Amino acid sequence: MKFSIFRFNPDTDTTPRMQEYEVEVSRGMMLRDALMEIKRQDESFSFRHSCGEGVCGSDGVNANGRNVLGCITQVADLKEPIVVRPMPGRPVIRDLVVDMSQFYQQYRAVKPYLIRKDSLPEQEILQSPEQRDKLDGLYECIMCGCCSTSCPSFWWNPDKFHGPQALLQAWRFLADSRDQATDERLDALEGPYKLFRCHTIMNCVDVCPKNLNPTKAIGHIKELMLKHAI
Amino acid sequence: MSRQASGLRAWVLQRISAAYIGLYIIYATGHFIINPPQSHADWKAWVADPLVAFALSLFFALLLVHAWVGIRDVLIDYVKPIMARVALLTLFGLGFLGCGLWAAKVIFLAAMPS
Repeated sequence: MKFSIFRFNPDTDTTPRMQEYEVEVSRGMMLRDALMEIKRQDESFSFRHSCGEGVCGSDGVNANGRNVLGCITQVADLKEPIVVRPMPGRPVIRDLVVDMSQFYQQYRAVKPYLIRKDSLPEQEILQSPEQRDKLDGLYECIMCGCCSTSCPSFWWNPDKFHGPQALLQAWRFLADSRDQATDERLDALEGPYKLFRCHTIMNCVDVCPKNLNPTKAIGHIKELMLKHAI
Repeated sequence: MSRQASGLRAWVLQRISAAYIGLYIIYATGHFIINPPQSHADWKAWVADPLVAFALSLFFALLLVHAWVGIRDVLIDYVKPIMARVALLTLFGLGFLGCGLWAAKVIFLAAMPS
């Protein structure tokens, strides 16, 4: 099977180029396996990967124009030639390896941890099954970056717009019955950029390898903001 | 005073105006299909109804609010140099203001007894 891979080495190249590779495909082969085979053929090729089973979120790449996790994407499901590029909108460090610093900065900015004002109890803070159910579809995010790097609003304003991943996590803590910083979290999201650059394009929902729905979470945040405003 | 443009207020205004614009367009289309004015005098008489004049004025006001939020979003997304953004926002703002005054003039003159 033919692969066309984005190559760029900042030490030797002035511009990126696409390089062709031929990989013998076996039954059930994943894109990550194919990239590892390419790495065997050409050891100068770089890409990130780790767990190989869709848990660590390291091997997000853009295959045939769509952000995917290499380890859970079957090569047989992709149209030949398979064009693999780094995730869009991020500065390329080398080949398929991109700089995700801004993505992590936006994540950090939503304070992705429980904030308690009451003194912490000796034992765990209990939740009812219904309260716990509200976190389903939110906590599963593996931070692969497929959503935020496919979001045009994040491409245009990666320094100011939190992006779908960080906003999904913002809602994850707003929806948590144990969190006590709702007003502070909502105040921090006000203004035209951090939350309101989302124009419900929904690329994030389309590409999320965990089938999560950041657009819905963003809608919930806006509703809650409105409830607190009136 | 907040140092940043509004987020929630602009979003709410865009939603409310969209709902009214949508409903008004359905009403106006229905009216013009079922009971189209046969002459300019007929049309004037229709607009002269205070309820129609109010609904029509509100339609144009909310249409311009909706357009303003929309164009502001586009300019915030795509126009980065601050002076170019301010110039374009001013240009569109004045343009929308002109459109609003024009619409108000048309409705006011139509509603005046001839």
